[in-house]
Amino acid sequence: MEYGPPPLFNQGVSARARLAFFSFLAVLLIVIDARVNALDTIRIGVGVMLYPLQRALLWPRDALVSTARYLNTVGSLTRENERLREGAAEQAAQVLQDQQLRQENNRLRQLQGLRERTKAKTLTVQVLYEPRDRFTHKLVIDRGSSDGVVAGNPVIDEQGVVGQVTRVFPMVSEVTVLTERDQSIPAEVVRNGLRCVAFGGSEPGTLELRFLAANADVSSGDTIVTSGLDGLYPPGLPVGTIARVERDVKDQFARVIVTPAGGVNTNGVLAVLQVTAAPLAAPPREDTRDDRPGRRSSHR
Amino acid sequence: MKLWRPRRADGETAAAASTGVPRGQPHSQVLRPVSPVFIWITLAAGLALDLLPWGRTPLVPDFLALGLVFWNVHQPRRVGMGAAFLFGLLMDVHDGALFGEHALAYTLLSYGAIALHRRILWFPVISQSLYVLPLLLVAQLASAAVRLWVGGASSNWWVGLVESGVGALLWPLVNWVLLAPQRRPISRDQTRPL
Repeated sequence: MEYGPPPLFNQGVSARARLAFFSFLAVLLIVIDARVNALDTIRIGVGVMLYPLQRALLWPRDALVSTARYLNTVGSLTRENERLREGAAEQAAQVLQDQQLRQENNRLRQLQGLRERTKAKTLTVQVLYEPRDRFTHKLVIDRGSSDGVVAGNPVIDEQGVVGQVTRVFPMVSEVTVLTERDQSIPAEVVRNGLRCVAFGGSEPGTLELRFLAANADVSSGDTIVTSGLDGLYPPGLPVGTIARVERDVKDQFARVIVTPAGGVNTNGVLAVLQVTAAPLAAPPREDTRDDRPGRRSSHR
Repeated sequence: MKLWRPRRADGETAAAASTGVPRGQPHSQVLRPVSPVFIWITLAAGLALDLLPWGRTPLVPDFLALGLVFWNVHQPRRVGMGAAFLFGLLMDVHDGALFGEHALAYTLLSYGAIALHRRILWFPVISQSLYVLPLLLVAQLASAAVRLWVGGASSNWWVGLVESGVGALLWPLVNWVLLAPQRRPISRDQTRPL
């Protein structure tokens, strides 16, 4: 083929024309995808086609992992079992207390006339793989829209919040972790109930509390949990621990770096909280003031 | 295995040099025609290697990009930018990237390889890696540029550029594996010199 006919014979469309055509098409797709989100049907179609291949290629790793597990000696399993049993015994007291506290809380809330906290349905999912994307940190989990996963659902592990479902395919979905630059989560400091918003940090693998006054009462070691103000993340889920606080005299805001609590072990089992993603209603306008504060809109 | 290795006598090299035949490995002997089935199988294998759950393991090169460069250099009229574009779309869906990001990167990669294919083949395989490295880098930088433009890149994205270096280092191996079916067994028959 290297010794093909000289270029004066027909070679089809020239390479430059094809380059122009395909790069224009690619840029067009990028712009449409980034700005309009109109390509989800095509993406889902390609994803469904690719799914059997993806699953097949996960098999070698899963086989290795299960073989390694099988080769675990009985001794280590017994030890692990003992440890887990001890842990369960320790937690039993807490669980019993927790039930009682929850009932008490519900009664008090009823007395106060507050809306009862809805218990979100959880769906246990397995992390299939982490995409090799260097620019963002995502996880792909093995449940999708056919299992009722909806984009926006919070994802937690046993340590705390991991992130949020950002894209749903029929069989799999993508989870963007909290430490991503574009992610944000309403939070509060456990020690004093200070409300704040945690954003993905500028340093990789960290979170940042922005817009806290330079003299805000935060110090390293404080635990941050979700505040539940957005109506999406249930309140009280651990978000992280403050690693350090930088207070610059020149700056009006403190720079608070938070180490995330969840998502450290990214190849395990996660839970998707299937909250109904009802966004809070927009604050009522002055002329049409509604006398039921905190009402949630049911549309969308 | 020994049967398949191309063996060059000193006289043959000298003759090749004097007659102006490229010294690069693919031209040091006349290759058999490539089987289109083999091309598509290797490209699919490259895609499969990319789909393996590498996670965030460092230094894993983009195998599909290497395969595309190889076939664009060796068979530019069989594998072109259209194939690169379509493979790019598949990678976009798998990686959860913007739709068209890998497609753009692979299109540029493919164009570079096609534009350079006559030149690259004149060099020995090791020197060819030096041409492959900038091609792979341009592809990675293209997708980085897209991310920076759209505004979703983390600050340490440039660490991944090392992967292009690993890919270029793998070029001789890729070359050896993908050209293997086209090499002729050395014939001991004196009446058939090729």
